[in-house]
Amino acid sequence: MKDVIALLNCHECARLGVLTEERPLASTSFLGRYAFMDVALSNFTNSGIDNVGVLVKDHQRSILKHMGNMSSWVNNTKTDKITLLTNEKGLINPPYNTDLANLKENDYLLYDSSASTLVFQSPHIIAPIDFNPIVKEHRERGEGITIVYKRIKDGDRDFVGQCRLTIDQDGYVTDASKNDGSEKEICVSLATWIIDRKALLEIVKESQRHDLSLGIADFIVYFVKSKRLKVHAYEYKGYARCFNSLEKYMEYSFELFKPEVANTLFKKDWPIFTLTHNSKPALYGPNAKISNSFIANGCIVDGDIKNSILCRGVTVEKGAKLNRCIVFRGSKIGENVVLSDVVVDKHAKIAQKHKIEGDPDVPIYVDQGASV
Amino acid sequence: MSNKMVAMILAGGKGTRLKALTAKVAKPAVSYGGKYRIIDFPLSNCANSGIRDVGVLTQYESSELNQYVGNGEKWGLNGVRSSAVVLSPKQTEEGSSWYRGTADAIYENLDWLERMDPDYVLILSGDHIYSCTYNEMLKKHIDSKADCTISVFPVPWEEASRFGILVTDKKDNIVQFQEKPKKPISNLASMGIYIFNYKILRDYLIADAKTDSDHDFGKNIIPNMMKDHRKMVAYTYHGYWKDVGTVSSLHQANMDLLKNGANGLDIYSIFGPNKILSEDMHSTPQFIGPKAEVKDSLINQGAQIFGKVNHCVVSDDVVVEEGAVCINDVLMPGAVIRKGAKVENAIIGPNTLIEENAEVNLEHDDIELVVNRKAARL
Repeated sequence: MKDVIALLNCHECARLGVLTEERPLASTSFLGRYAFMDVALSNFTNSGIDNVGVLVKDHQRSILKHMGNMSSWVNNTKTDKITLLTNEKGLINPPYNTDLANLKENDYLLYDSSASTLVFQSPHIIAPIDFNPIVKEHRERGEGITIVYKRIKDGDRDFVGQCRLTIDQDGYVTDASKNDGSEKEICVSLATWIIDRKALLEIVKESQRHDLSLGIADFIVYFVKSKRLKVHAYEYKGYARCFNSLEKYMEYSFELFKPEVANTLFKKDWPIFTLTHNSKPALYGPNAKISNSFIANGCIVDGDIKNSILCRGVTVEKGAKLNRCIVFRGSKIGENVVLSDVVVDKHAKIAQKHKIEGDPDVPIYVDQGASV
Repeated sequence: MSNKMVAMILAGGKGTRLKALTAKVAKPAVSYGGKYRIIDFPLSNCANSGIRDVGVLTQYESSELNQYVGNGEKWGLNGVRSSAVVLSPKQTEEGSSWYRGTADAIYENLDWLERMDPDYVLILSGDHIYSCTYNEMLKKHIDSKADCTISVFPVPWEEASRFGILVTDKKDNIVQFQEKPKKPISNLASMGIYIFNYKILRDYLIADAKTDSDHDFGKNIIPNMMKDHRKMVAYTYHGYWKDVGTVSSLHQANMDLLKNGANGLDIYSIFGPNKILSEDMHSTPQFIGPKAEVKDSLINQGAQIFGKVNHCVVSDDVVVEEGAVCINDVLMPGAVIRKGAKVENAIIGPNTLIEENAEVNLEHDDIELVVNRKAARL
């Protein structure tokens, strides 16, 4: 898709509690094989968008490391580009570290391109979205701003704290507010926007007159509430989950054990690309017993794994029992260790015979590099 | 630049004894170890040795192999001052012909070698499985001022007559070469890995091209150099090395990777400290289903296991459905084992479909090969 700039927006991104204290959600491990940002970046690639910017809020190193030489997500390694956009002034002034400030700081991206449309997606919303029909409708209707939304049935549990929308018959947003969980059947924004270049300039112009801590999302709500600009809504009906806490991270990850759910995220014609590491295939020993789990390459498993996710290069020794656990890369689980409802961060070591049992509602977190 | 070595990988062979596996693809492109193709080994070894320029000589069913080698990106050979080039038979001023032998394949590409201007040429086979670097061998070649160094591998005496056998003196100088001798007087087998001083090799290739020979390194070039009393040195390789010629040896080489593989080996000890680099498949994560039973196996990303898998090597995008039982198998990429099927002691080829409740080789010790590519159309 020519004439489009896509932006992976890490500023509007939720956090996953302790997991995202040292790293951004964007580069946090998802299903053992991916980083969260892979899904949005693959959407851009699969939609044929050849000009991508990553609006980095913080923890640049972690994002840079996952991006590698960036060739994992581009269709043509010469003509396509992915640019990391950072706002150094924002780093020392967190309240003003907004997506809008970042875009202003890096406005050369806009001057370098004649693209008329910008597409934004946030890494904490996992949704395989094809932007072609959305951009097409946005342009045909001559809209300035389009928000991609989903009708959900569990508004009291899912997307809490995200933007809830009221939409009229003509497909325009009439009200926008924080989802406070008061109703079940609601429309929620997927933090995915199509913004016309002219409308973006409108936002920038408007922002001069207001508090500099406001971001693009704030101005979209402002336009809706003040009725200064019509905001169109596009209904997306596929898989979409909002990962905004450690508990949701586990719940939604484990939900993908069900093939009927996984098949709505993983589609043959919509691959999710990621950086690969040339790890060996997973090696299972004679005592291994595995069920209902995602296991990444580079793992060596001789224990009993149930309902769990093992990231790259995890070792689980003989007699160890894991249930409802997520183990990050490079961790070692010793002989006869028993873990349930535990998240083990990367390069941790749990020595033999330890027993750590959390609760599905209150998982236990083992810190990076910890020795237990 | 001094001591520049260029590698030439001979990858044109058909591998007839692998039967249907090599009907549509050259042997070096055959799948191995769940995520690799055999040619990943020499190419990764080159990358791990710091060799920057690699020519891959292809001929038989070359399109899939040529595409796979591409510009060498999978092995990092697409960097600055690096190159991986597929060298297939071509038309020239003198006419055109297929490669007439291993030596002829190199002779036909002397123009490329001239442009590379190497000091040494490393000749490799594209269908051997082993993980190493060639640096120590090159050091020995240089230190001993050899014209040609041949990598050798001690084989059991009873098998020695199947190989090209080298007899050496105490200083590892090769004093005799026997091609598949009936009564071997040494058990050092040539691995088909040679380092030549380029200019000397060039002279022998040009001379050989004018004769009516087999144009083969083992049969012609090496014996001719021996005859001329060139300095020929043996380099003994210790470690895992397999030339997988048959269906059962390919099966065995896969099983060697498992945790209790042959002689206590597994994929980690066989690969050693070096990474074997390979294609970046955009598969989904590996999923083991709720009723699956998985043990003693090597399983790649993208595989979905709902049935029973015991003592198997499973590649990307393989599906083993609920109730299916796989024991002692190699399941190549995209193979689908339907519900209730039982598959034992088998190699299931790429994209091959095993129908519901089918039985494959349950009562036999020999390894059965099934190739039908029906799963590609699912």
